[in-house]
Amino acid sequence: MASTHMLTAFDEELQYLTRRISEMGGLAEQMCSDAVRALVNSDSALAQKVISDDVILDGAEREIQEKAIITIARRQPVAADLREVVGSLRIAADLERVGDLGKNTAKRVIAVQGTGVPRKLARGLEHLSDLALVQLKDVLDVYVSRSAEKAEVIRLRDEEIDAMYTSLFRELLTYMMEDPRNITTCTHLLFCAKNIERIGDHATNIAETIYYMTTGAQLEGERPKDDSSNTVGAAGR
Amino acid sequence: MSTIYPRRKATNGIMMALCVVAAVIGLAWLALILGALLYNGLAGVNIAVFTQMTPPPGEAGGLLNAIAGSLVITVIAVVIGTPIGIMAGTYMAEYGRFSKLTTVVRFINDILLSAPSIVVGLFVYELVVRPMGHFSAFAGAFALAVLVIPVVVRTTEDMLNLVPNALREAGTAIGAPRWIVIRSVAYRAALSGIVTGILLAIARISGETAPLLFTALNNQFWSSNLNAPMASLPVTIFQFALSPYEEWQQLAWTGALLITLTVLALSIIARSLTGRREDR
Amino acid sequence: MNNMVSLDKVAPQQTSEKAKIEIKNLNFYYGESKALKNITLSLPERSVTAFIGPSGCGKSTLLRVLNRIYELYPKQRAEGEVLVDGQNILDRNQDLNLLRTKVGMVFQKPTPFPMSIYENISFGIKLYETLSKSEMDERVEAALRRAALWNEVKDKLNASGLSLSGGQQQRLCIARTVAVKPEIILLDEPASALDPLSTAKIEELIDELRADYTIVIVTHNMQQAARVSRQTAFMYLGELVEFDETAKIFTSPREKRTQDYVTGRFG
Repeated sequence: MASTHMLTAFDEELQYLTRRISEMGGLAEQMCSDAVRALVNSDSALAQKVISDDVILDGAEREIQEKAIITIARRQPVAADLREVVGSLRIAADLERVGDLGKNTAKRVIAVQGTGVPRKLARGLEHLSDLALVQLKDVLDVYVSRSAEKAEVIRLRDEEIDAMYTSLFRELLTYMMEDPRNITTCTHLLFCAKNIERIGDHATNIAETIYYMTTGAQLEGERPKDDSSNTVGAAGR
Repeated sequence: MSTIYPRRKATNGIMMALCVVAAVIGLAWLALILGALLYNGLAGVNIAVFTQMTPPPGEAGGLLNAIAGSLVITVIAVVIGTPIGIMAGTYMAEYGRFSKLTTVVRFINDILLSAPSIVVGLFVYELVVRPMGHFSAFAGAFALAVLVIPVVVRTTEDMLNLVPNALREAGTAIGAPRWIVIRSVAYRAALSGIVTGILLAIARISGETAPLLFTALNNQFWSSNLNAPMASLPVTIFQFALSPYEEWQQLAWTGALLITLTVLALSIIARSLTGRREDR
Repeated sequence: MNNMVSLDKVAPQQTSEKAKIEIKNLNFYYGESKALKNITLSLPERSVTAFIGPSGCGKSTLLRVLNRIYELYPKQRAEGEVLVDGQNILDRNQDLNLLRTKVGMVFQKPTPFPMSIYENISFGIKLYETLSKSEMDERVEAALRRAALWNEVKDKLNASGLSLSGGQQQRLCIARTVAVKPEIILLDEPASALDPLSTAKIEELIDELRADYTIVIVTHNMQQAARVSRQTAFMYLGELVEFDETAKIFTSPREKRTQDYVTGRFG
C-alpha cells in the first residue's frame, strides 16, 4: 500500500480495517495465552477474564465485517483493494474463532480445578501453546509487513504444532489408561490441546489469506500435516 | 468598502441608463420609419395597386408590372444563385473542410457578402448589358444572383458545420459513401438552417435598387420578355419618389410599404425556422 | 443460466479460440504526434473485449482504427497491420465502405439520423441490398427486436428518431448497426451519456449480442468493463500496458500501472 488513492477517505477506510485487525489479533493472542496460563495455574479469575474478553472480540469482528461491507458497497474496490477488504473479512473471522477457542479452553479451567493438571501434562500443554502462540504472533507481524515469503514460511511451520499435538494426544491416552479416575480431566485437557492445535490451523489460514492479499494468487497444494492423532488407537503403543 | 461601494453602485446606475437610452434611440428610429411608412403607404393601398400598370404622370394607376417584374427577377436570381451557393457551401463544409481552397473561398465570399451592391450592378453592366447592347430583365436577375450566392454560401457552410461530426461519423460507420452521408444525413440535419439562409438572401435582394438600375432598368409597361428592360418595385419606387407628381409619390410610399412587409414576413419566417431548430 | 455465464467469464478456454482481429505493431499518428505506440493485440471471435485507460491513452484511437473511421480526417494515419479474418484492413486497396458494413460502430452520444425510426434502420440496409417492402419491414423489425427496442417503438415507427429518450436513441443506433449484419461491433463509450437504468439495458444488450458478434468496447467506466467484457486491455499514454482476462485484470493484474489505475491510485 505504498501509493495512495485519489480518494483519501478510501485510504482511511482501508487503514481502519488494518488497524482493527491488528487490535483483534493482539486481543486474541492475549486471550489464548491467558487461557493456557489459567489452565496450568488453575486460575479461575483469569479464566473468567478470558471468557468476558471474548465478547469484545466478537464485537470487533462484527464491526470489521460491517465496515468492510460498507466499503465494498461504497467504493467497489477491485484488484489489491478488493483482496485487502475480502482478506480483512476472512482474517477477522479466523481471529474470532481463535478467541472462541481461547474461551472454550478457559471454560474448562473450572472443570479441571478439582484435580489440577499433572505437572508433566501441563508442560506439554504449555509447549504446545507456546508454539501456537508464536505462530499467531508471527502471522500478525506478517499481516503488518505484508511479506508473502514469510507468510509461506509460517504456513509450513504448522507441521511442528501438529506433531506436538499428536504426541500430547498419545500421552493423554496413556494417562487415561493408567488410571480411569484421570479420564474426566484428561478428556478436558484433550479438548484444550485440540483447541490450541486449532489456533495453529487458524494462524495458517491467516498466513494463506495474507499470501493471497499480497500476491493475488492462492497457495496451492496440501500443506504438510503431521497431525496423525486420527490414526492413533487406544490399543496402540 | 463603505466609500467604494456606493460609488460603484452609482456608476452602475449611470451606465445602465446610458445603455437604455441608446437602445431606445435605436428602436425609436425603426419605429419612426415603420410609422411613416404605414401612415403614408396605407393611404394608397387599394385594389388598383395590384391590378393596374404604373401610370403616366398625373394619372391614377397601380404597381402590377413592378410587382410582377420584382417577382420574376427575384425568382430567377434565386433559381440561379441557390444551387451554386449550396454546392459551394457544401464543398467548403464537407469535401474541402481542411483544404486551403476553402479558406481562400471563405475569405473572398465574406468580401463579396459585404460588397456594395452598386459595385455588383456596375460589374454586371460591364459583363452583360454592354456586350448585349441593351438593358434586360435577365441581366437584373444575374446581378441579384451574384448577391444571393455569398449569403447562401455562408449560411450553408455555417449550418453544415453545426451538424455534429458524430452524425457524419455515424453515417460513415454504417458504410454509407460520402455523398449519401451529405445528402441523407447532413442536409437533413441542416435543412431548416439552409432554408433560412435562402429566405434571408431573398429578403436582401428584394429591396436592392442599385444593381437593377444598371441592369434591368425599368419599364413603364407590362413585359414578360426577359431580354428586355423590366419594371421592379425598388427601381419604380426610386423613380416615382423623386418625381414631382403626387400620384407617383403616393405609389412610391405604397411600394415601399409592400417591400418592407415582405422583408419583415421573410425575416419572421426565417426566425421561426431557426427558432424551431434550437428547440430540439 | 446466470451462473453459467459468470463461470464462463472466469474460466474461458483460451486455447481453442480463433482470433477475429489481430493487431500487429500498430502505430498511429495525429500529424506529427504519435498516439499509438507499437500495439500488438489479438481479439478473439464472439467475445467482448474492453479497452480501458485514462483520457488520452489512445483507447478510442485504437477503436477508430478498426473501421478506419479516422480516414474522415486528414493528417491521421496508421502504420502496421490490422488483420480482420486474416486480411489486412490497413491495406491501400481495402474498400472502406465495405469494411464498415462488416465492422459497425456505435458512438458515445446517441446519433440517430434526422429521419424516422424506421428510416434510421432501413437507411443502412438500403445502401447495399434491394429489398421488397415486406422484406424490409421484417429486417427493420428483426433489428429493433435484437436491440430490445421493438416493443417500445412498434407503434411509432414513423416518429422521428430524435423523439426517443437518450437510452432508446442509443439502442436505436445499436439496432441500426446490427441491421446491416456486421461481424464486429465497436462501441465507443456507448453508455457514458446515459442514466444508470439505460446503461444497464445497454449492458444487458451487449451481453446478448456477444453470442453472435465480436464486440470491442471502449469505456471510462471501469466497473462497466468489469461487468460486460471477457478480456480487458489497459492502455496508458498510447501503449498497451496489459491485456488479459477481465477477471484477472480486476482481481490481480500483473502490472503495477494497471493495478494503480483500476484501484484509483492514478494521480
